[in-house]
Amino acid sequence: MINALTYPIRRAYTQLRTEVLSLPSRTIVLVFALALLLLPLYSTDPYLMRIVIMASIFAIYAASWDLLAGFTGQVNFGHALFFGLGAYGSSLLNHHFGLSPWITIPIGAVVATLGGVLVGIPCLRLRGSYLSLATLAFPLILTGILFAFPDFSGGELGISGLRRLFVKPVHNYYAAVILMLVLCFAMWKISTSNTGLIFHAIREDEVAARASGINTKRYKLLAFALSAFFAGIAGAFFAHFIRIAGPSTLEVALSFQAVIWGIFGGVATIYGPIVAVFILYPLTEAVAVFPELREFRLLILAVVVLLVLLFMPQGLTPWLRDKIESICQRCKNRNVFWRRECRICSTAMH
Amino acid sequence: MLRRMLAAFVAAVAGTALTVTAAQAADPIKIGVVGPMAFVQGENHWRGAELAADEINKAGGVKVGKEQRQIELVKVDTNEILNVPDAANAMERALTQDEVDFVIGGFRTEAVLAMQDVAMDYKKIFLGVGAAHDKLTQRVGEDYGRYKYFFHVAPTKASDLGRTLFAVLGQIAGQIRQDLGKAKPKVAIVAEKAAWVDGIVKAAQANLPKMQMEVVGLWQPSPTATDVTAELSAIRRAGADMIFTVISGPVGIVLGRQMGELQIPAIPFGINVEAQKEGFWQASGGKANYVATLDTYGAGDVHITDQTVDFVAKFKKRYGTIPAYTAATYDAVYLLKETVEKAGTLDADKLVPVLEKTDRVGTGGRLVFDKNHAPTFGPGYLTGLAVQWQDGEKVAFWPNNWNGVTYKGVKAFKIPPHMMAQKKK
Amino acid sequence: MFQDILITGLVNGGVYALLAIGFSLIFGVARIVNIAHTAFYMLAAYLVYTFLNIAGLPLLLSVVLAVGLVTLLSMVCYKLVIEPVREYESAVLIATIALALIFQETLLLIFGGTFLSSPTLIPGARDIAGVRVSYQQLLTIGVVALVLLGTWYLLARTRLGLAIRATANDLEVANLMGMNVSRVAMYTVAISVALAAIAGVVVAPLFVVDPLMWLAPLVTILAIVVLGGLGSLKGSLIGAFIIAYVEAITVFTVPAGSFLKGAVALSIMIVVLLIRPEGLFGVAFEEER
Repeated sequence: MINALTYPIRRAYTQLRTEVLSLPSRTIVLVFALALLLLPLYSTDPYLMRIVIMASIFAIYAASWDLLAGFTGQVNFGHALFFGLGAYGSSLLNHHFGLSPWITIPIGAVVATLGGVLVGIPCLRLRGSYLSLATLAFPLILTGILFAFPDFSGGELGISGLRRLFVKPVHNYYAAVILMLVLCFAMWKISTSNTGLIFHAIREDEVAARASGINTKRYKLLAFALSAFFAGIAGAFFAHFIRIAGPSTLEVALSFQAVIWGIFGGVATIYGPIVAVFILYPLTEAVAVFPELREFRLLILAVVVLLVLLFMPQGLTPWLRDKIESICQRCKNRNVFWRRECRICSTAMH
Repeated sequence: MLRRMLAAFVAAVAGTALTVTAAQAADPIKIGVVGPMAFVQGENHWRGAELAADEINKAGGVKVGKEQRQIELVKVDTNEILNVPDAANAMERALTQDEVDFVIGGFRTEAVLAMQDVAMDYKKIFLGVGAAHDKLTQRVGEDYGRYKYFFHVAPTKASDLGRTLFAVLGQIAGQIRQDLGKAKPKVAIVAEKAAWVDGIVKAAQANLPKMQMEVVGLWQPSPTATDVTAELSAIRRAGADMIFTVISGPVGIVLGRQMGELQIPAIPFGINVEAQKEGFWQASGGKANYVATLDTYGAGDVHITDQTVDFVAKFKKRYGTIPAYTAATYDAVYLLKETVEKAGTLDADKLVPVLEKTDRVGTGGRLVFDKNHAPTFGPGYLTGLAVQWQDGEKVAFWPNNWNGVTYKGVKAFKIPPHMMAQKKK
Repeated sequence: MFQDILITGLVNGGVYALLAIGFSLIFGVARIVNIAHTAFYMLAAYLVYTFLNIAGLPLLLSVVLAVGLVTLLSMVCYKLVIEPVREYESAVLIATIALALIFQETLLLIFGGTFLSSPTLIPGARDIAGVRVSYQQLLTIGVVALVLLGTWYLLARTRLGLAIRATANDLEVANLMGMNVSRVAMYTVAISVALAAIAGVVVAPLFVVDPLMWLAPLVTILAIVVLGGLGSLKGSLIGAFIIAYVEAITVFTVPAGSFLKGAVALSIMIVVLLIRPEGLFGVAFEEER
């Protein structure tokens, strides 16, 4: 009886001990998640909340870029399209029909997903740099269309006066942080699943993947759809948080931002871009706290990115991870760097 | 490790900000000046406010109830031209970290709308100086309880600009009829593709024929287009005598410059925000001779109110340039001072009714708010100026006997000589 | 209207070609997508402005200095920033984005966001077939023609050109043949950026100089090179004229839709890609493994 009650708890504890605490990287993720969830106990300063909320939104956005670009190798230069589709899709419904953001945000994500499939189809024929440069065009074309119908889209003003999910900053904070943790975990799960493996295979060698009987086209489209879905949620949430969806959600700069975060953090990791956002976004804001540095913030950001890349060309997280963990030669599982033998197969390390 | 460092870092940032606010006791009145500080608009936001604040402080500050309090300005760089979320962040930072009592400024409408929402969350008085879109004050009418803390101080709101424009166009058309002997001057409309221009464009298409002018076409380049030679060729072919510009973006410079370069025989007049700036002559490579636009202050030689000439001279002496329209933050700071002194408190809810009763003559005209907190337009209130670039000088030529209004210092409008030469034969 | 479209397209096509060819060249040879390409173009425009209007140097000297300095800078950037991460395609990409941002922000700090103008080299305009064309535009076409000839000569008739073409053809084999591929890449970067700098000097006077001026042409030339086929100089040239004519036709036939010219041009690019995924003159990618 007692056994039946304690079993799940013990199981969870064992899981935690063997699967999470045994690896420094996972421990860090756990600590990070807990820190975010507990932060309001330390301070509910609205500005601090806002920065974490924005970072959470952009973390989802950057990770969704990685899901597409990092895993399938379809390096999207126009990722802002999905962000903007989510933002506009959701806010148009909220604005024109007065629907609650609880309904419009998911619909915004669906709109973005449809956009992802629509863009993904022509992109099936493209590869490499062609794909990157062609995708750059899509958000710009959409901007042109939105400007052509200002009565519907609000033109350069966008749609303003949207409703927030919650009124209090702390509630919005939890909405954003939990959304970020859940969605990013979901993306990470996808990336380590069978589907993720196939995505990876497509990037490494599409011909071989096809030769193994994988319908690579379907999977490439799936990657577009999934990535657009997550970016769409981020965009829709963003619009309802800052209460305006304007053409700035489709700007080239925002698309480049995803590329910068993704590559800076390390591609094909999911957690890499998240780390990058949570370092770079607060950093630019922190710089803005000091008045004499305010005008230098973008410059500082660009220089930091450049320097980090020079020393860690594969991005920040793979470099760090290799420092604190080593891979077992035999079973390919990861171990803390100080272990002498593998925690799974007991083979001697090094 | 990294994430722990990050958490520590975030905490440190919050900590720094807290100590900063704790160190400065709430003695002075804090006014946040919001604007894109790396750009001319933000620079003028700051300078106008700084000039006013220094004058007020030198004269002893603001009298709140019984105590004299100094004004402390907080520079809030919104970076709004490049990044809209940055602007909302900056506003939140100003309100919660710098703990400003009032905010003034704003430029790009999309960003001002976002910032407006943040300021209203905190029920802080936000005096808009820089964005002209009607939407900003429509919100006050639609949801008074929430948006009543927003007041549009300057410039004239977009829909009123149209009325001024037609008055000036009428005057220019008269001159063309006289000098070129054309009964029905032809007008080409060049409006950037933006929501704020739509009302003006529709009104122009409806009104100009009634005013004995023929509209030969509408061209809508992007506000940031870098080349309009194609549009200009088409306009020249259409035989336009006037080019009615409705432009706020840098395409206004391109238009002026390329018109001069290509010697397009037409008079450009309308709204051309870039042509209001002192740097316009240089930016157009000295090619944009005879470009005309609506303006706020002119070159400082036009007597709009008793304060205009003096203000422009002070501004020029201190900063070496003529104020742009966003320097109306000068009026906004004085407006705050007078309102606070009248109400004897900094409580926003008590200040709103006092602000609503504002009737004050500033540097650009007489300011009276309508029920939506937008500035009243018309003779005796705000009128604006029309200016023309003549050989490197920004010369005011309007209002010249418009509904009884003539400002001292206005000069004659000139039709480009190359146009006379091309059109006369 | 017909002659309007004809001449406007020709003039703008020349301008686009000058920028697109340099961009294409460096991609073809070194597989570097240089996002900073137009940032170098911007830098050259600013340098001419500085030398001429602030330092008061003579026109010709300013122009030569600007082009020379920007080219030198590009080689330094290549050595310091690109070469160390050459193996990682994505790192190269982001490095060039970061470079462009650094240029943008530096110029913003020095000159502010004000719009400046770089001076016209030859002022004035004249009518050609009833269409008003400025001398600066004519000069641009002349320079484009000269530069294209020069580039062709360099690539087809010199040893360096041979090395560049060999590297473009097959980087690994060229390397195996004992060529210093890295140095060839550096020279290519220099040539490519020199083209951008020349464009900055010649073309910028037609436009406005400001710290964001690199973004708009960047998108246009990306469309052009993708349309024409990445790495193909002929493709870039023809692509430039296609885009220029599409834009001209949009402006002249749908005046109220001038703002759409960018969107229309990009849509044409997408359509072409759907029919020919490798662009008009691109080498069909074999299923690279």
